[in-house]
Amino acid sequence: MTGYPVLSVTTFLPLVGAAAILLFGGGRRARWMALATTLATLAVSMPLYTGFDKSSSALQFVESAHWIPAWNIAYSMGVDGISLPFIFLSTLLSVLCVSVSWTAVQTKPREFYAALLVAETAMIGLFAASNLFLFFVFWELIVVPIFLLVGVWGGPGRVFASVKFLIFTLAGSVLMLVGMIALQKAAGTLDFRALALAREQLDPTTQGWLFAAFLAAFAVKVPMFPVHTWLPNAHTEAPTAGSVILAGILLKMGAYGFLRVSLPILPEGVQLFLTPMLVLSAVAIVYGAYVTLVQTDVKRLIAYSSVSHMGFVTLGIFTLDQSGVEGAILQMINHGIISAALFLCVGMIYERTHTREIKDYGGVAKLAPVYSTMLAFFCLAATGFPGLNSFVGEFLIVSGAFKTQVWLGAAAVWGVALGTAYMVWLFYRMVMGKPNPGLEGLKLELNARELATLAPLALLALCLGLYPELVLSYLRVPVAELLAFRGLQ
Amino acid sequence: MRGPSAADLSLLVPELILVVAVLVLMLLARRIRQGQVATVGTVIAALTAGIAASQALSWGTISGFSGMFVLDGYSQFFKLLIAATLLLATLLSVGRRSDDGVPRGDYHVLLLLAATGMMISVSAVDLIPLYLALELMTICSYILVGIRVERPASNEAAIKYFLLGSFASALLLFGISLTYGLTGTTAYEGIASALYSRGLVSQPFLLVAIGLVVGGLAFKIAAVPFHAWAPDAYQGATAPVAAFLAAGSKAAGLAALGRVLIVAFGTETALLSPIIVGLAGLSLLVGSVLALSQTDMKRLLAYSSIAHAGYALLGLVAGTPAGVSATMTYAFFYVFMTLGAFGVVIALGARGEQLDGFQGLAAQRPAVAAVMLVFLLSLTGFPPTAGFVAKFGVITSAVQAGHIVLAILAVGCSVITAFVYMRVAVLMYMSNTVAPAPARFPLAVTAALAVAALVTLVGGVLPAGLMSWAVSP
Repeated sequence: MTGYPVLSVTTFLPLVGAAAILLFGGGRRARWMALATTLATLAVSMPLYTGFDKSSSALQFVESAHWIPAWNIAYSMGVDGISLPFIFLSTLLSVLCVSVSWTAVQTKPREFYAALLVAETAMIGLFAASNLFLFFVFWELIVVPIFLLVGVWGGPGRVFASVKFLIFTLAGSVLMLVGMIALQKAAGTLDFRALALAREQLDPTTQGWLFAAFLAAFAVKVPMFPVHTWLPNAHTEAPTAGSVILAGILLKMGAYGFLRVSLPILPEGVQLFLTPMLVLSAVAIVYGAYVTLVQTDVKRLIAYSSVSHMGFVTLGIFTLDQSGVEGAILQMINHGIISAALFLCVGMIYERTHTREIKDYGGVAKLAPVYSTMLAFFCLAATGFPGLNSFVGEFLIVSGAFKTQVWLGAAAVWGVALGTAYMVWLFYRMVMGKPNPGLEGLKLELNARELATLAPLALLALCLGLYPELVLSYLRVPVAELLAFRGLQ
Repeated sequence: MRGPSAADLSLLVPELILVVAVLVLMLLARRIRQGQVATVGTVIAALTAGIAASQALSWGTISGFSGMFVLDGYSQFFKLLIAATLLLATLLSVGRRSDDGVPRGDYHVLLLLAATGMMISVSAVDLIPLYLALELMTICSYILVGIRVERPASNEAAIKYFLLGSFASALLLFGISLTYGLTGTTAYEGIASALYSRGLVSQPFLLVAIGLVVGGLAFKIAAVPFHAWAPDAYQGATAPVAAFLAAGSKAAGLAALGRVLIVAFGTETALLSPIIVGLAGLSLLVGSVLALSQTDMKRLLAYSSIAHAGYALLGLVAGTPAGVSATMTYAFFYVFMTLGAFGVVIALGARGEQLDGFQGLAAQRPAVAAVMLVFLLSLTGFPPTAGFVAKFGVITSAVQAGHIVLAILAVGCSVITAFVYMRVAVLMYMSNTVAPAPARFPLAVTAALAVAALVTLVGGVLPAGLMSWAVSP
């Protein structure tokens, strides 16, 4: 073990960095300070992975301190195998966000990097929190920096997109607030582990209502059909770094909430809502894929593809099957890697062409071979190409779905087929063929910094595709414990 | 009955400090040519009164003046808060009055006297001194609102405030007389024991009496339907006076209401609860919905303060000590975030009084915009600001009392108010049109903003200390 509280240091180091940037980060210093902070955060989090015991389902790296005794709320942090991969993803993507914004962000760099780092604190903290109150604090904390990132540094429709994002997420999370308070009233605690032990005291009706209250918050963040409409706006208008955080981490928060709150604490509620959840997931997969097909804006296309992909995740979770849930969590990581990489790719070329319309591209392969190779790689990964990461996740989810209901598996397979169609078609229209005359004279090829930004994600996609145990080995024990309630029914 | 003794006077130390300051300023009023003298005097008085009040926080309960006046944790908590309100409002008044032709000495005398009234009202355990103290506060407030005599808007606001205020005072007085008729006493403890022993629950007169007393007090906190004065009074008054009213009048009113409900009518929860639920629900709904369409910052903050009265009342719905503690915490944090938001309005001068004046502020004054953002987030109830802790506490007490629908209404209204507050944030951060840069503002205003922002942030992260002070009577 190490001599410092790893989780707290990892969580709050970015916040310290944000304060330092606001105070001393004038001019070009801001981006260097942000890079140093994100790298340092990644470095201090390393003991989490070296010192973690995968064979235990207990919380590890536990920290606890008195906080608000009047409400029986402690400051308590801890990770298990489910939360750990997300902390890694958050710290990694934050570094890449700074890197991709290096030259793209010219206005108010100080505030930009500060907001980015506050968002990083919120992301890490959410996955490290081991009680619901703290979870909620970080859940809400991330809304403000994203609101600013989209609204200040976004595209032409940024103000509408940011306000829509804020109102949607807030409308969901206030119901979670009431649910949380009602849960505390019923169970007397907000600690995740203690709540899971106290779940027997909650009668099925209460659990149903509580599930609905938490569902409002989680469904908006995932986002599930039909509350996904904020996502295309926000993703499209956000600056690249904002899209990366939204697609890479923020969407995972909702699904993580299902795993952390709904499944272990409200199993009866889960049973009550099982069918609607599965149907909504299947609808999201298929509907999301069809809507993706007809998009003409690259970022909007990737945004809608997220609706479809997150449908796979919720489908996997609510199969309540070991392989389905493992696949869902693996797929959350995969989607975090791939959609982040795709948004990075789009952001990099947008910085040169200033257009997001697919018809303004074409023949990029001839102008920027390295860029096209990277894009091809990530498009393939997104389609679930064997040997790359999404394949494993989708396979596990589909096999879990077939075990539950055949038609669910069929819907999922249909979604995979459509996913291949829209990704390949996007690639075809952007990269293949004769170069679009509008692109003549532009220097489209990636520079070393951009290549270095994409390389870690490409490497991860490949490693997880060839050896998914890298993540799955963390999941096995906690997921088995998570699903233990099925045996009791 | 014996007269007050020296021991009784020792309970009045914070009030006496303010009264001494009033007398000194009145004597010197004609000599005061420089605004700083009056400001410094008021600041010193507020600080010493605050320190005196905080010294007595843990003294336990001491009563005096023949059981009409009490010094306990509850009263000292609110006296500290009122002293802080006075301090910040005084700091925010610096550099503004000379432009408006307001007599410097008189202005501070009125602020001090109003604060004295507030302080006495939170210690009153008898309806008669409560009424007198609240009248002292309110009458000073009327004059403060109309202090810019040459301005028609200011006069109009003062007259509206005065008419509605007199009506509310009459309600309160009528309620007091009915209560006296029913119970034979005006002392809180006496009322409680009379109600307990005689079992007057069924008497419709009692409902009327309680309704009138609560209605009179609801006027002071601008709860719907006793809210109509607030937007006009705030708009017509100078911004520092509006800030003082929004914070101080609400804190004193909540303190009085909390004590009356818990101590005097504590046995009548079944009668009281629907009244408070109605006041809270209406205030939440009306305040947040009407705030949506406001373009004048002071009116916007007025409607926001009405909605916040609704939130604060959620704590009183249950009629439990825990609920009253939640309301106390709410009142404390509300005062600082509201004074902070008004402080930014004041700092921006004439520009800050209009919503459009916030356009492009982040580019011109990043620090002011950031501080405003903190206050707006806190007013919305975002963690980790104090507004979230406050809101969590009162909603918890509503849920504990079984009012789930009210709790859902409350959080639904916080989405509406989020839209209101974030509109200001959008203008500050995301607007391209930029108004001319605001003038520099005095150091005192900076200090007030810093104090308010510090309390809002630290209170949100580490609320435990404050919450341990917030003990119900």
